[in-house]
Amino acid sequence: MSWDIAGIGIVSCVGGDARTTYDALCAGRDGLAPVRVFDTANYRAHHAYEVDDRGPGGDRPLRATGWLLSAVAQALADAGLDEDLDEVPVLVGTTLREQRSVELWWRGGPKVPVERLDFGMALRERFAATTSYTFANACAASLYALGLAADMIELGQADTVVVAGTDSIAESTFAAMDRAQTLVPDAARPFDRGHRGMVMGEGAVAAVLRRAGTGRAVARLRSVGLNCDAAHPTAPDPEGITAAVREAHRRAGVTPRDIELVMLHGTGTARNDETEAAVMSEVFAEGPGPLMTAVKSGVGHTLGGSGLLSLLTAVLSMRYGAVPPVIGLREPIDEAAGLRLVRDASRPASIGLAQVNAFGFGGINAVAVVEKA
Amino acid sequence: MSGEPRARTAVVVTGAGLAVPGLTGPGDLLGAPAGGAGFDPETGLKGRDLRHKDRATRLALRSVEPALRDAGLLGAGGPALDGTRTAVVVSSNTGNYDSVCAYVDIAARQTSRAISAMGLPHTSTSAIAGWIAAGHGLHGPAVTLCNGATSGLDALYWGRNLIAADRADTVVVTGVEPANDVVHKLLGTRTVDGAATVVLESAAHAADRAGRVRAHWHGLHRGRDHDEVLRTAAGSAAPGIGLWLTGARETRPAHLGTSVRPVALADGLGECGGALGVLQCAAAVAHFDAGGGGAALATVCAADVSAALTLLPPATTSDSPASPAEWSERSGRPERPERSP
Repeated sequence: MSWDIAGIGIVSCVGGDARTTYDALCAGRDGLAPVRVFDTANYRAHHAYEVDDRGPGGDRPLRATGWLLSAVAQALADAGLDEDLDEVPVLVGTTLREQRSVELWWRGGPKVPVERLDFGMALRERFAATTSYTFANACAASLYALGLAADMIELGQADTVVVAGTDSIAESTFAAMDRAQTLVPDAARPFDRGHRGMVMGEGAVAAVLRRAGTGRAVARLRSVGLNCDAAHPTAPDPEGITAAVREAHRRAGVTPRDIELVMLHGTGTARNDETEAAVMSEVFAEGPGPLMTAVKSGVGHTLGGSGLLSLLTAVLSMRYGAVPPVIGLREPIDEAAGLRLVRDASRPASIGLAQVNAFGFGGINAVAVVEKA
Repeated sequence: MSGEPRARTAVVVTGAGLAVPGLTGPGDLLGAPAGGAGFDPETGLKGRDLRHKDRATRLALRSVEPALRDAGLLGAGGPALDGTRTAVVVSSNTGNYDSVCAYVDIAARQTSRAISAMGLPHTSTSAIAGWIAAGHGLHGPAVTLCNGATSGLDALYWGRNLIAADRADTVVVTGVEPANDVVHKLLGTRTVDGAATVVLESAAHAADRAGRVRAHWHGLHRGRDHDEVLRTAAGSAAPGIGLWLTGARETRPAHLGTSVRPVALADGLGECGGALGVLQCAAAVAHFDAGGGGAALATVCAADVSAALTLLPPATTSDSPASPAEWSERSGRPERPERSP
């Protein structure tokens, strides 16, 4: 079974739409900057990949909600559908929901109505969405949502589902990361010997998923494998990741040799990069292996939306025939030595089948396989 | 994927457990105290397995254990189930707001060094599901709903879908809301400080292991208009409604009749948020356990959103014209999200 991806939308720190974001990534242009969203005087780290749209007067609530609405509108327009989601379920994957709005209120800012702390009300107001779900599934959230959306279509519960992801940088998470990371990262450098940890990003993504053959398709979803390490709360587990990859391949009916591009989770933490690179080296041990890249090098870790952002970047790479590089990659870590990481510049390639990795806190893993339409 | 939908769509409830202050178990939700000392967070939330976990996670874990035991899935030496085919679904709206606000308070006064090094997982609500999975070796999908008033019933819907889509045979569904200063200031009302867990299984899986069926999943209806959702849900339950578990702000629709017993759990427990739907499911199990008849209807509504779960008694057999399997076939797509008119 496969599903059509009929339209896509992206809001990122390097572009307000899908094409602009993709072009920036291919040009090696990242969104790294000193943190502006709050004062970092009390922190060791001072950098992030922000969507700099706060306007005057400091941070404001509900920015994650705003980007979500923009990304969904883009995806609907791209799919040629009306902005009427009365009969179309919307599945939103997020790590932090509107926790930034809760923080701002707690520190003396305006109180946001409780009903706006999930995304249902905003989606009802803007798109008349009757059915929506906010999934807080950490950094695998939007790929989890994609898998659950595919299940809805397979079970006959819907023919069209909007899948999205959104997160804004929350200070509590920045602070807890600042405490937990051993080194102080000043840039996201996945798989590079100079990687020093995760750097937060923000933004939103959306895709329209439809029953195969419903209309025009920009790509085809072949599978999403979902599982949980049931091990460490923050460190990835090679067994769990391997199982998720194998499940995605099994559900898609493909072998590792069929995969031509892997969109790596690539957070830039030593634990993720070493574990992920080792597992990919093992899974793709035969033959030259697929091309690989990691978009967090350009937009930071966009948390809940990051998995779907990777998938949409794969779709754009298929459409436009070039894979963006791992920005800033100079000398790969030992575990990645045998991987065909795209570096220095975008790589022209005709990609027919791609794998997308997303691994979240709590050992939550999602791996998708997507095919050129 | 798994091909065409198969007979997996028959789903049953096989266990329920609570960690709610003062209550001993699901039976207490319907005012039939089982006797013995109720759950006491002062003593009940201690233990090695709860170290470095936030209150929501600790409450959740304390409800998972009795639910698995109730389902016969917890042996003396640990879980008696196939972890690779067991999923976790959690519902919580306010689960980690205490940590979120505490961290920004600390960081405003001191440096990030003052935050616990073990505090990072609690920045994401998904930590609760991760800890449940890790605590019991559950390697299936782990899903967390933070979906407002309907979140608990939505969690049950997604638990059922994971079984129907062949991603799991067994799903642990937990609803939890912790009470604390942040939640009190945010909601401005009395709220529950507790968790409920129910175990969903494919009917075939439960039958294979001779697990005791406590309730049959009949359907979950969702929509914008509460009366319409209620009418559809009530109309689909052939034996008639024997127990109506209501949410807040509901009026009795005429078509439910006056003999139906309405129970608003929030009246006794305080606002239940994302835990409500799961608490309602646990109460339905208690109703059937006590020999209660009819179908159990659990409803939740808020502004422009409504959900209704229908469960049927365990005695419903496949020979009976009131068989859930037959209904599913007859109605075609029983789980299709309700449309507003």
